[in-house]
Amino acid sequence: MLHKLLDLITSLKLTIICLAAAMALIFAGTLAQVHLGIHEAQQRYFQSMFVWWPPDGRGFHVPIFPGGHLIGAVLLINLIAAHVKRFRWTWRKLGIHLTHAGLIIMLAGGLFTDLFAVESHMRLANGDTKNYSEDMRETELAVVDTSSDDLDQVTAIPESVLRHNRVIDHWTLPFQIVVRNFYQNSRLKMLSQAGEGARPIANQGPGAMIAVEPAPPATAADERDVPSAAIEILPKDGSSLGTWLVSDALGAPQTFACGGRTWMIRLRPSRYYKPYSVTLQKFTHEKYGGTEIPKNFSSKVTLIDPERSVDRDVLIYMNHPLRYRGETFYQAGFQPDDSATILQVVHNPTFIAPYVACVIVAAGLLVQFGFHLVGFSRQRRGAVA
Amino acid sequence: MGKTQKSNWAGGKAIVVCLAVFAVLTACEKNSGIKVYRVSKASLEESAPQQQDSMPTNTAAPRMPTGLAPVAETAVTTPPNWEPQPLSQMRQASFLVKGDNGAVADISFVSLGSAAGNVLENVNRWLGQLGQAPITEQKLGEITQRLRTSLGDVTIVDLAGLPDNADPARDGRIIAATVTTADSTLFFKMRGNAELAEAQKGDFIKWVAAVCNAQTQTGPPQMAAAPPQAVNAPQIKWKKPEGWTEVPPSTMRYASFSAPSEEGGKIDISIVTFPGDGGSDADNVNRWRGQIGLAPIDANTVTSQIAPLKTEDTTFSTTDIASDKTRTIAAWTRRDGRVWFFKATGPNTAVGKEKSNFVKFIESVRF
Repeated sequence: MLHKLLDLITSLKLTIICLAAAMALIFAGTLAQVHLGIHEAQQRYFQSMFVWWPPDGRGFHVPIFPGGHLIGAVLLINLIAAHVKRFRWTWRKLGIHLTHAGLIIMLAGGLFTDLFAVESHMRLANGDTKNYSEDMRETELAVVDTSSDDLDQVTAIPESVLRHNRVIDHWTLPFQIVVRNFYQNSRLKMLSQAGEGARPIANQGPGAMIAVEPAPPATAADERDVPSAAIEILPKDGSSLGTWLVSDALGAPQTFACGGRTWMIRLRPSRYYKPYSVTLQKFTHEKYGGTEIPKNFSSKVTLIDPERSVDRDVLIYMNHPLRYRGETFYQAGFQPDDSATILQVVHNPTFIAPYVACVIVAAGLLVQFGFHLVGFSRQRRGAVA
Repeated sequence: MGKTQKSNWAGGKAIVVCLAVFAVLTACEKNSGIKVYRVSKASLEESAPQQQDSMPTNTAAPRMPTGLAPVAETAVTTPPNWEPQPLSQMRQASFLVKGDNGAVADISFVSLGSAAGNVLENVNRWLGQLGQAPITEQKLGEITQRLRTSLGDVTIVDLAGLPDNADPARDGRIIAATVTTADSTLFFKMRGNAELAEAQKGDFIKWVAAVCNAQTQTGPPQMAAAPPQAVNAPQIKWKKPEGWTEVPPSTMRYASFSAPSEEGGKIDISIVTFPGDGGSDADNVNRWRGQIGLAPIDANTVTSQIAPLKTEDTTFSTTDIASDKTRTIAAWTRRDGRVWFFKATGPNTAVGKEKSNFVKFIESVRF
């Protein structure tokens, strides 16, 4: 039994099956981007253990194909296991060992990038300073205790928790949050504009004057969902303070008092705070003369990090990102009227893996072919002699 | 070692490695739990000027609001018994006063964005710190005092109460003052032993007045940066007409202004934005008509009352509706998937006089 299992996970057949499955998955996932959008297709096909049917995941659904994570993981295990099983140290096999090690690093790096890399954006108008970036694809409910004079305590509840937990009870909060409704995408209308029969889903704050209409998930690359939720605040004494509408479309936070403290709630893009700040000094957008075709766009920013006594100006432009404290700031875009720059902020602990892997694979191939070349030359010289 | 044993050894190694890899992979999951962290007060950035964006506890103090000199640079003298304290990142002035029997009071001066100035919310926050119940707007009017300074009227409140388990030598009273200018809100606060705070109240108010009077308006007051009230909405800019005062926007508003009226009362000017088209023009105009006591009219009549206003940036639709006493002028435009409403409502004749300023204001809006 053990031998059979070992033979299976170290077999070349499994490698071929995984590669074939990966090809099929990439093909299907690429086609799916047409109607799902790139983000959703990535999530369903490549950043999952299985591809499910029906795809909405509600009620009965079955896995119909291995997802990217499963194929990658099996391939990685297969490669490592086969290498460990057949490992015999000789100098003549150094090239093969190096090549395999490079492939393992590349596969593992890809998987870890998928699991741990965080991409977010920092939007800055001229003169703006920010010390956080935002993930436009993820939403969080920020519950802020504003009672302290100098500091606000933020309890950030991610969308996944709001979506799957009806009652949220956290040690920082003197109340429970009951999620009455959650809409992944929605349209908000004033009740007076929503037509007959429209009812608010909240009874506190501006939500009492607003009707929420569910909307299909956004699929286009330049669209994003407008999540909304109705949340009821239940103090620990069992009473209810009412139900609030929280939505990404409501700009300002809402406040209420509970437990002798003032709280602020807001549904907003997930934030990643940093121990340093970035100020946009100047955004430059050059075009080719007489056309609207961009020639160059760049952002001059000031980076201030009090912890490390850093205060310097940096120019970020195409292919010249700012790398700082494990994060990379790329010039990603700008407002159509050039009023603001959009920097993509990538935190990827394994970003070095592909570079290292490529060098090791190249070295391995050089060594391997080098041995063959030397052997071949010796044979030829012997034959001539 | 025989061939079979070698094979078993290699197989065992492979299984162990596979299990280790599997364990690592299954343990790998992006952190999707609830996060708790502390940020400085400036995290009211949703309603504060851009440069007041939140800073974590270990970053530099936020910049001073435009046009206000740091307290340290002003020639304000403080009573000799006020001991200067190290400044935290939010505080621009900090003192400690000591009294008899270990009594102390902490005095601070904090400056935030103009939209941070909702007095009721701040007073209720201070009441919460003293373990007291929140109060209503009406009650607030009864307990506030006004202090006239060159920066404007300062609102002063004197609150008492001892939170549970608090030390009466160090707590029991908050005397606070706040004033909102065009681009900032100043908070002065003394919190500490009730008797000591009472004894220091006179000096505290003199200090508040001196600091306010010492502040010099330096920056160009006309061009106000758009407060990121609706963070997800694109930021727009405008030129505020003379005589208009920017006031803290309510939850639904992107920005609010107030213009004086000779007949008493004020003209309320608002900017509101929503994603989508914001409903039909007929619905909106009829809603505004309803707000000033006019009956709805049909869509064709509404259309006939809408005039285009072309600016350098875009074209607005405008309308002007008036009842016997109240008048509303509004301009709106739809762009980039959002609708922007600009509206001025107030006494009939006052709005009429302010109409040219409103038009200039609309013409100055830059998206």
